[in-house]
Amino acid sequence: MSALPGLRAGALTAGRRSRARSSQKPVGGVTASLLLWGYAAVALVPLLLMVASSFRSNADLISDPLGAPWPLSVASYKEAWTVGNFATYFANSLLVTCGAVALSTVVATMAAYALARGRSRIFRWLEALFLSGLMLPIHLAILPIFYLFDGMGLIDSRLGLVLMYGASGVPFSIFVLTTFFRQLPVELEEAAQLDGASTWQTFVRIMVPLVRPAVATVAVFRFVPIWNDFLFPLVLLRREEKYTLPVGLTTFFGENATNYSAVFAGLVITTVPLILLFLLATKQIVAGLTAGMTK
Amino acid sequence: MRRRSGLLFVAPALILFGVFVLYPMVTAFSYAFYHWQGTTRGGFAGFEHFTTLFTRAPFKTDMPRALLHNVLFFLGTMAFQNTIGLTVALMLHRRARTRRMLQTLYAMPYLVSPIVIGYLWTLLLSPTFGPVNQLLTKIGLESWALPWLGDPDTALWVVILVSVWQWIGFPVLLYGAALGGVPEELNEAARVDGASHRQAFFRITLPLLVPAIGTVSVLTFIFAMEAFALPYAFGGSTGNPAGATDFISLLFYRTAFDSGAANAIGTSSAMATLLFIIIFGGALAATAVLRRHERRITG
Amino acid sequence: MTRRTPWKYVALAALGSAVALSACAPSSGGDSGGGGDKGKTTLTVWSWRVEDEAAYNKIFDVYEKSHKDVTVDFKPFKSTEYNKILATGLSGSDGPDVPQVRSYGQVQATIASGALVPLDGKVDLTGWDENVLASAKGKEDGKLYSVPLAQQATVMYYNKGLFEKNGLKAPTTWDEFMAANKKLKDAGVVPIAVGAKDDWTLPIVHEIIGAATFGGTDFQKAVQSGDKSFTDPQWVASVKLLKDLEPYMPKSVAGVASTDAQTLFSAEKAAMYPGGSFDLAVLQKANPKMQIGVFEVPPAAGAPSGAQPTTAGWADGNFAVSKKSKHQEQALELVKWMSTKEFGQMVADEVKQISAVPGVENKDEILQQIADNYEKHGSPYLLLTDFRYGTPTGTDLLGKGIQEMLLGKKDAAAVSKDLDTGVKTWFKPGA
Repeated sequence: MSALPGLRAGALTAGRRSRARSSQKPVGGVTASLLLWGYAAVALVPLLLMVASSFRSNADLISDPLGAPWPLSVASYKEAWTVGNFATYFANSLLVTCGAVALSTVVATMAAYALARGRSRIFRWLEALFLSGLMLPIHLAILPIFYLFDGMGLIDSRLGLVLMYGASGVPFSIFVLTTFFRQLPVELEEAAQLDGASTWQTFVRIMVPLVRPAVATVAVFRFVPIWNDFLFPLVLLRREEKYTLPVGLTTFFGENATNYSAVFAGLVITTVPLILLFLLATKQIVAGLTAGMTK
Repeated sequence: MRRRSGLLFVAPALILFGVFVLYPMVTAFSYAFYHWQGTTRGGFAGFEHFTTLFTRAPFKTDMPRALLHNVLFFLGTMAFQNTIGLTVALMLHRRARTRRMLQTLYAMPYLVSPIVIGYLWTLLLSPTFGPVNQLLTKIGLESWALPWLGDPDTALWVVILVSVWQWIGFPVLLYGAALGGVPEELNEAARVDGASHRQAFFRITLPLLVPAIGTVSVLTFIFAMEAFALPYAFGGSTGNPAGATDFISLLFYRTAFDSGAANAIGTSSAMATLLFIIIFGGALAATAVLRRHERRITG
Repeated sequence: MTRRTPWKYVALAALGSAVALSACAPSSGGDSGGGGDKGKTTLTVWSWRVEDEAAYNKIFDVYEKSHKDVTVDFKPFKSTEYNKILATGLSGSDGPDVPQVRSYGQVQATIASGALVPLDGKVDLTGWDENVLASAKGKEDGKLYSVPLAQQATVMYYNKGLFEKNGLKAPTTWDEFMAANKKLKDAGVVPIAVGAKDDWTLPIVHEIIGAATFGGTDFQKAVQSGDKSFTDPQWVASVKLLKDLEPYMPKSVAGVASTDAQTLFSAEKAAMYPGGSFDLAVLQKANPKMQIGVFEVPPAAGAPSGAQPTTAGWADGNFAVSKKSKHQEQALELVKWMSTKEFGQMVADEVKQISAVPGVENKDEILQQIADNYEKHGSPYLLLTDFRYGTPTGTDLLGKGIQEMLLGKKDAAAVSKDLDTGVKTWFKPGA
């Protein structure tokens, strides 16, 4: 039923024995330990350099690219935030991302419930249709989307982006949530309905609270690609006051490329929300990344 | 659940998905088969736009070059991801205390927008104000302080390596999860029978990891064929220097939105259709191969 | 389970999310034209000069005072995305009345799509520079489709302070130029700040350094008539100059971004910066204390006899009338005004560009000097004015070629040969 073979295959190999750790020693011993921590440095140092550079003055950066960030200067952040319009870009990104995540999560949760519980054959068919979307390279449809938006008056509109991202998040969200709904016992719903609750009431009061972990995974995991997306806002937005961070950053980079410390500050501003999200919701992100691998 | 109320639950998602994903996806193909004058659709064009892609300048030269870069990007990413990713996952395996921590650290760059990553490395690799070449010079490796992003011979590899650096956390996680699913008894039994660690890995563990490797490959393939933001940040929409970092998506973007050519919609849609066939075809083929393999190992 | 409840709740949910969404939705209604004043026409002007928004608003305020029935709405977009925005805007539903359009070869696609109104007989541009006028005409029909806004020129900027400190003056011969380069390099200064990573800057650098050597306007005429081509020894020599000067450019020049080059110059780590007149405002803003001067690079050995230093120029920022505009009359009136000295003077004063209108004075001394240079010994920036009418464009070809030359992959002869072959796929001399 899944679109990717590995997802199904993963379920078959993963999970069952992961906790039964034997007495065997880790591969590679101390050398491997060193290598692993060494690679952690490779992964992190460029990001740390980005943060460090953003706290230095531009003159400082030019005369010594490798210097230490003392004394700390937040001037570049002020510059980026106000003159560079990052306050606007940031608000736009937040608005678009939250709106789209909320939209796709709400509609996908409803649909997933029906797909998991519906017995008619049409639901199998619909599920397959949604899951086919997992493999559709939606970016290739940018031209028709552009003219569709032009016809609907959604060009240069943040609402348009919300609808677009909301729609493109539907397949993944349905995929994860349907699996989750299927694992829930039917008895709870039956009991609720015997007590006279309608389908909708059962869904909202009984089912939604039960799938909360999966909803969190879906919401958090969808947040990242929408926040980072570049092509859609690049093509569908026109005016600077509507730009989201990646496009705003491109403008800023083009116009202020000689002010390196402000550019670094812009890079950090664009990245910080995701790092915060990651620290708060590591579990959900990891679960999203391995969705389908672990059941 | 009744059919009717079920359909009502599905309706909002279906409408949203239908209008903003399915409908544009389907019409995208039809665009490629018509003549266009600006945004006005003319008569049926058949496969004319497709032949244009292979016979007319600049597509005649730019298409194959961009496609080659996409393929190199895929192969390069695969080579590094599977070797480094698998090695790291193996080394992390059975390190209960540090595994979680390290996996998290490795996954950090994945979160960062490709646009940010591209600009960050552009700044880091700048020959005049970048710390990388400065450091190389300081530690006596001055001959290594090259114009990494300015030389067409190195620029593409910089893009590939940076992309690997960004995404490596993903295969590490997936392979980690898959390794957790390999029954210890199998390995132990093999060792009792006199197999070396090496043999046990290649005969027992690796075959069981094939599905995970397959997943990573298919996802990497789609990702590599669609690459846009990262090369855009590195080389702009023209794939500087001298087209060395040009990719199909960039060419598509230039043709569709930047060329101002009267028939831009037709030509660029033909390009998108072609890319779609490549992505979908490639993914389906890989899927078929993997299914067969799966059936074999599950008996 | 009752049948009605789900309908009701689903409808409620849909309504709820619609309300929530529209609450999220920005107040996009505000700027969608059609102001409240009855009888007042709103003309929308599109431009790629985001940085000049305040200046243009000031200029159009003046226009509104003399045209009480018209409001001008100036909408600037990001320069790099402008072509896309304009193409879709002119054909789509909410385009401009008066768009800023590209010039020379790059406006031809817009003209060919029939989106612009011909202005012959409606706007009088007699007495304008011929090279400037060429920017506004259709190649096919020779008709006038826009009013040029500004003249741009290629300029060698230099840091007067750094030159003085090293006992140097603006060079008048090639030997003096080379001696200055050497002296600056020995003093630990980067002589010429070039950013060869961005290949589009390289044809400009070539024009600044090589125009006197390949022969400016005379060479243009010879190429157009077919007497000479880009394989001509003089042209090859002019391309080779850049390779010869490589030791005086930043280290690893092929990896240096154009913005890095600008930074080197404004941080006073480099003494010269070859750029466009459009760079001046940026340079002045980046380091207001620095004394900037300009000079024309003298001809090198092998130049035609009597070769003169020259300032190469072109026009850009032209304004046109959209065929889809619902206010043809008013739009035409505005564009007409853009050809007057009143408008030109404001462009010079507020936008700080060399106006395309003849006889406008510039307050900025450096800008006036550039304008004078062009007037006295100007030449067309050949690859831009004449070789962008087809793809591959001359500027693209030369930019990439020089990049490869600086990387040591091609020599000047091969670069020139490739340029010649490339443009001849669409360029027919003598036509």
